[in-house]
Amino acid sequence: MPHDDHVMLESRDLAKTYYSTEPPTQVINGVDLIVRKGEFLVVMGASGSGKSSLLYSISGMDRPTSGTVFLEGRDLTSLSDVEMSRVRLTKMGFIFQQAHFLSNLNIRDNILLPAFKAAPKEKDAAVARVDAIMERFGIAHIKQHGITQVSGGQLQRASLCRALACEPSILFADEPTGALNSSMSTEVMEALTEVHSDGTTLVMVTHAPACAARADRVIYLRDGRLVDSRQLGRWSKEQSTQREDDLLAWLRKLGF
Amino acid sequence: MNERNSPYFRYAYNALIKDKGVNIALAVLLILSAFLMVTGSMVMERSIGSVDQLFEEAKPPHYLQMHKGDYDPDALTRFASDHPEIDAWLVEEMLGFDSAAIAWHRPSTGESGDLADSLIDNLFVTQQEEFDFLIDETGAIPQASRGEVYVPVAYQQSFGLQAGDKLAIRTDTGIHDLRIRGFVRDSQMASSLSSATRFLVSEADFQELGRAGGGTPEIIAEYRLTDPSLASEFQRAYEGDKALPKNGQAVTYQMIRLVNAFSDGLVAVAMVFLSLLLIAIALLSLRFVIRGTLEEEVREIGVMKAIGLPDQAIVSLYLSKYRVMTLLACIIGGVLAVIASGLLTRSIQVNYAQAPVGLTTILVPVLALLSVYLFVIAICRGVLRGVRKVQVVNALVHGSTLHERQTARHAKRQARRARRTSLASYRGRSISRRLAFSDLRAESGQWVLIPIVFFLGTVLMTLPLNLLSTFESPRFVTYMGAPESDVRADLQFSKDVDSVRADVLSSMRSDGQLTQVRVFANELYEIQEGEGWETLRVEVGDYSGATVEFLEGGRPEPGQIALSVLNANRFQLSTGSKLTIRHGGESATVVVSGIYQDVTSGGHTAKMQGEVTTGASGYVIYANTVDRADPAAVAAQYSERFPAATVIPMREYVQQTLSHTTGAFRSAAIMSFIFGIGVAVVITGLFLKLRLTRERRKMGILSAIGFSMGEIVAQVKGKALLTMAAGTLLGLGFVATGGESLVGLFISLAGLGIANLSFIPNLLLVYVAYPVILVGAGYLGAVVLTARLHGADKSLWLRA
Ligand SMILES: Nc1ncnc2c1ncn2[C@@H]1O[C@H](COP(=O)(O)OP(=O)(O)OP(=O)(O)O)[C@@H](O)[C@H]1O
Ligand SMILES: [Mg+2]
Repeated sequence: MPHDDHVMLESRDLAKTYYSTEPPTQVINGVDLIVRKGEFLVVMGASGSGKSSLLYSISGMDRPTSGTVFLEGRDLTSLSDVEMSRVRLTKMGFIFQQAHFLSNLNIRDNILLPAFKAAPKEKDAAVARVDAIMERFGIAHIKQHGITQVSGGQLQRASLCRALACEPSILFADEPTGALNSSMSTEVMEALTEVHSDGTTLVMVTHAPACAARADRVIYLRDGRLVDSRQLGRWSKEQSTQREDDLLAWLRKLGF
Repeated sequence: MNERNSPYFRYAYNALIKDKGVNIALAVLLILSAFLMVTGSMVMERSIGSVDQLFEEAKPPHYLQMHKGDYDPDALTRFASDHPEIDAWLVEEMLGFDSAAIAWHRPSTGESGDLADSLIDNLFVTQQEEFDFLIDETGAIPQASRGEVYVPVAYQQSFGLQAGDKLAIRTDTGIHDLRIRGFVRDSQMASSLSSATRFLVSEADFQELGRAGGGTPEIIAEYRLTDPSLASEFQRAYEGDKALPKNGQAVTYQMIRLVNAFSDGLVAVAMVFLSLLLIAIALLSLRFVIRGTLEEEVREIGVMKAIGLPDQAIVSLYLSKYRVMTLLACIIGGVLAVIASGLLTRSIQVNYAQAPVGLTTILVPVLALLSVYLFVIAICRGVLRGVRKVQVVNALVHGSTLHERQTARHAKRQARRARRTSLASYRGRSISRRLAFSDLRAESGQWVLIPIVFFLGTVLMTLPLNLLSTFESPRFVTYMGAPESDVRADLQFSKDVDSVRADVLSSMRSDGQLTQVRVFANELYEIQEGEGWETLRVEVGDYSGATVEFLEGGRPEPGQIALSVLNANRFQLSTGSKLTIRHGGESATVVVSGIYQDVTSGGHTAKMQGEVTTGASGYVIYANTVDRADPAAVAAQYSERFPAATVIPMREYVQQTLSHTTGAFRSAAIMSFIFGIGVAVVITGLFLKLRLTRERRKMGILSAIGFSMGEIVAQVKGKALLTMAAGTLLGLGFVATGGESLVGLFISLAGLGIANLSFIPNLLLVYVAYPVILVGAGYLGAVVLTARLHGADKSLWLRA
């Protein structure tokens, strides 16, 4: 199949089985997925339906059991560990439900880490870029803080800054608002929407319809299979209530 | 209740299966601890049992007093009649002969040798009638017939004597021959710390030896009391009486027992000590593991608390795993100990007696195991008490075992550290290395375990090795009181020793293969010591050539004498001191010219400048070989031509003389090598396994950011390598500096005749091979442990 220039990420017949259990659990079951460039895709589904497993399989954190994943036409499943980690470093960004940081580095150093790693010879440029990103997302004033000295929302925005430090083409987020209260949650979603409007492709897992409503498209997973997908179109603040109601009706039909 | 279905049992089973590596490492440590503890205690019990059994058979005195020279028998009789607490008493007459004056010969094979290497007094006695018997191997009280001798079992072992061998005793008027009938155990003098030992002869032979001269008459006044506990009181009464003989040692029953049990129990004491050390290491590791488990499972603990499970129940749940593990370790260690203690007590059984198996034989190891078990469990319980401090909210919400105040303190410390080590100003090349270093600094409290273990491991491994290589080195002869030469010929006294000497000397001097032939005579002098005279072995000869190295002073000129370290200490003499010696009835005063180290003849020797005359108790001839002659071949040639002479290459002589010592050092070196490597690898493996479990989150973050697994693993391996190497280097530094004096101290205390030891280390082995092997083994452990990380699903490390 020739590569379509508009496709950022594509999975074909993707499957993931965990062998640590007896009997082995097949959690992803033949998923074909296409994420277009600049798209904001949300993955939804019941707890245990395999959302996280799908996210980490297509992002090269975990190795899929079978099937292939292409990033901008490049087969990720055939890459070595070193090549794959280079792809994660330069092309991908990650945000997790819990903000995971190295505890003996301050906030800015944590964000600098991938930038330094990617371009060891251009550290000054990296520092300038990271300071700009932190400024943009409103956490410049906590640069020197330790990771236990800031709020959950600030920490998650710092996660976003770290994910953006190497200007990735695609951002993966696994329930980025899952551990936050609603005001912090909005804070983070605003930031993500902004990143998306800059043209970054976004794949996000979430349980919250309010967050999902900001997506271009929502897909629904059940028992490791893609069962339905819904096109929402470009997000605008004015239509937010209507989009959310629309999404809820669709989800209820799917048994969410 | 059905045990298998109890929640505790199921929990313990699952927990043991889950973390196999960690559990095996812990179990190995615990098994080793239990094994050493039980073996030590069993050896002790057996030794005490053997001593008791021998005491039962031999009836040693409750109080004894040695004496040399004249005494008043009436005073003893009067004293005995004045003291009703005396149950029985006797005066044993003895004849002391220097071990150089006793030789053995095996008619069947022609083998022969003397007892000169023994450093204790040899006392010839007859069997007693009332108490203080010498006991044969069957536990009976043997009687020697005319011409027969019973030899101490210790000599049987160290010189390989057999019944039927001939013993020749050199007296002033000729050689007295005896046939070895059997071997005896001596309750008074069985201990390896004893300074004398007794030979049993018939009354007729005893009288003849006395008349022949050359022996030193000595007596022991011995008392059996109605109650042994009166011994010290009795001693005061005895010592208060001026008329009684008492210029020798006085010993009470309690002291005999103590010395007996202590000297041979030393191995057992060392084992118990080592076991305590291991238990400490095991407990450190256990604490580390338990803390880790609690931190990892804090949410589960929070849940258990939230549903109202009492702390005690939670502690029991976690404890069940360690109960099972410790119990298993105790059982396995105990079984191994039964096997080992059988081997270890064999020599004690020979020297003393076959100890009867009684209740205590079973009870002692069981109690030892029980105390190991209870102690380990008590400590585990103590660490697990941390469960109490877990607060439900903190545990469930923050996944933290700390309570609020601790959390705040912790956060502040972390922030301070983060500010200090700013990555923003870092301009170095390897970000990975930078991260590893900052990790090491932040977690130094944890990582410090590795350098400590490797430091101890290095010291443990290299010190015995250094000792071994020193003792095996050809250069070591200078410690041995012998000149550095190629061939040595020993001539023991015999009826025709002087003519043999003349023959050997003349053929050596005319031999083109040999140069620098020097002869020394072994003479038995006497030295004045207090009121009496003591035997002094003196090598008389020409010392003007190259001789031994002197610790202080120099070689003896005519009218001077050089003393070995042990003799100088024994007689409290130093360079320049004057002393009176006598030989063949003539006394002379000589000046000490110098002091040298000597490990031959029990370390008690002296050297005097003089002509080698006839009539010495033995001769030593040294010779150097010319360039291409092989010392071994020359020695073999002379041995064949002169069967009465023992001719061997110097190198072999060193090895033979020291074979006991080097044998012990070799075993120690091998044991400590295995032990050092084993403990280092087990602890490193355990530590890294736990570290990796706790660093999963950090590894997940790095992986998500874009570090490859290779880089992440390299950080771990690098940290391990760095800490292992640091510990090893420190260990080597210590061995090179303090280690020598530490071992030197130990050696001089051991009374080997060396006061000043400098290592002759095998540099390649000590400073290259051993460290590389030690660190290599640890590194291999790290490689194996981290290998599994490569295939892992990294996201799992970041999911809750
Ligand atoms: N390491 C593992 N070993 C075995 N099974 C696993 C493992 N991790 C997850 N699973 C199983 O795989 C299935 C999918 O898990 P996954 O975490 O992808 O679900 P999810 O949709 O993200 O759920 P949630 O909404 O709760 O995050 C679940 O049934 C889970 O029990
Ligand atoms: Mg999930």
